[in-house]
Amino acid sequence: MESLNIKLLEVCSKCGACYHICPSCLNLNEGYDPRAVIKDILAGQYEKWLSHKSIWQCLECHHCLEICFQHYGFENAMAAMRTLASKKGLAPTQVKRGWDMFIKTSRLGEPAAPARKKLGLPEAAKSGAEDFKKILKIYQERKESGVRSQKSE
Amino acid sequence: MKDFTIFWGCTIQTRFPFLEKSTRMVLDGFDLPYRDVDGFTCCPEKSLVNNIDHGLWVLTAARNIALLDKAGVDLVSPCTGCVSNLATVNGELHSDNKEKIKVNSILKEIGLEFKGKNKLRHLVPFFHDEVGIPAIKNKIVKPFHGMRIALHYGCHMIRPSHALKNDDPLDPKKFDNLIRAMGAESVQYMTKLLCCGQGLDRVDQHENALHFARLKLKELKSLKIDAMALCCPSCYLQFDNNQFLMEKEGEKFGIPILYFTELLGLAMGHKPEDLGVDSHRVEATDFLEKWQRLNGEFARTDELNRQLEEGFGIAQH
Repeated sequence: MESLNIKLLEVCSKCGACYHICPSCLNLNEGYDPRAVIKDILAGQYEKWLSHKSIWQCLECHHCLEICFQHYGFENAMAAMRTLASKKGLAPTQVKRGWDMFIKTSRLGEPAAPARKKLGLPEAAKSGAEDFKKILKIYQERKESGVRSQKSE
Repeated sequence: MKDFTIFWGCTIQTRFPFLEKSTRMVLDGFDLPYRDVDGFTCCPEKSLVNNIDHGLWVLTAARNIALLDKAGVDLVSPCTGCVSNLATVNGELHSDNKEKIKVNSILKEIGLEFKGKNKLRHLVPFFHDEVGIPAIKNKIVKPFHGMRIALHYGCHMIRPSHALKNDDPLDPKKFDNLIRAMGAESVQYMTKLLCCGQGLDRVDQHENALHFARLKLKELKSLKIDAMALCCPSCYLQFDNNQFLMEKEGEKFGIPILYFTELLGLAMGHKPEDLGVDSHRVEATDFLEKWQRLNGEFARTDELNRQLEEGFGIAQH
């Protein structure tokens, strides 16, 4: 959980003002309450949330961020949980599928050529897939060697 | 005005090419200096890529921004998500030199450098601030007088405000101003700033996504509005496609969803079918008919007023 600022999160756990502006908290009938998740993170008992659908119900609308006097909000805690869940292979199927497509093609879909022709649109600009592949490879190699050097320390 | 490129994003080009059409038509109508730039990838989508790998999210966005630095153009996008993601990374790299150096050491390998010197803006604030209300009013030949339009801003047009800096994040005004400049009433309603909820459709929670769509559509139905206006492909998907799905199951809303560029194009005198309004899943027929009818009535009133003024003019002599 190194990406979370525990100090800010402690203040956050005592405030919770954003509960009253968060669209998911206010509108999801089944109940959505990041305050409970944050409490468990601070107590070191967040494991159970990783497979819970709650952590994917943050809409990333940034309402909480805007009203937070720490400029932190629920969203950072929920995003950290989603990252952890993804690492453990617990992301929803659609997320996994979207990720695979992004890694493979650099996009989440290709321009619809026949529809473009019908609409009289010019040919779509070239994608950056080739260059993306190159930087992805370098990025992954560096990440790998970073992990290895951390482990050997 | 500085040259700019349009960042179309994946969703518009994959699913809604007609939104690209109406955007190009209004940009051409104002003779704005835009051109296509090769090499963009996904912005990338924050809720997908950032959740899994923050470093890759930053690197990919930085590469897109570096293409702007290379071409020397600003960026304008009709997608709120794309602008918000790119602006967030732009801000992060400007405030974190260590990360910027790391990113640039990789971008160097493909001949690019992130400088982040160009403006990144959403189409709506761009029209408001750069084109300006007076210039827009000048182009309007078929205003929406008498039409009641409910705006949906879309969270990422205005938030996070520290990165976007384009409107009040909790009480935005610019889209309202633009709708009013086209002659329509911008109907105020309780759920105006509520998130569309489309994100839930991307995490295997379709029923919850529909629940969110319903919240807004129900209120708007009760207010008897003529249309909802927005400028985000994700919100469009939520309110056009998901409304259509719910109507198929028997829930009736009947609220046409119009893109900012479609409304502007219509007001500028373009035909609905040329703008791609006939590609929508929820039909806009009633909206278009009422607008045509009111335009005819207002034109008759204008003509009557002109004749009266002329008559008075003669009487005075």
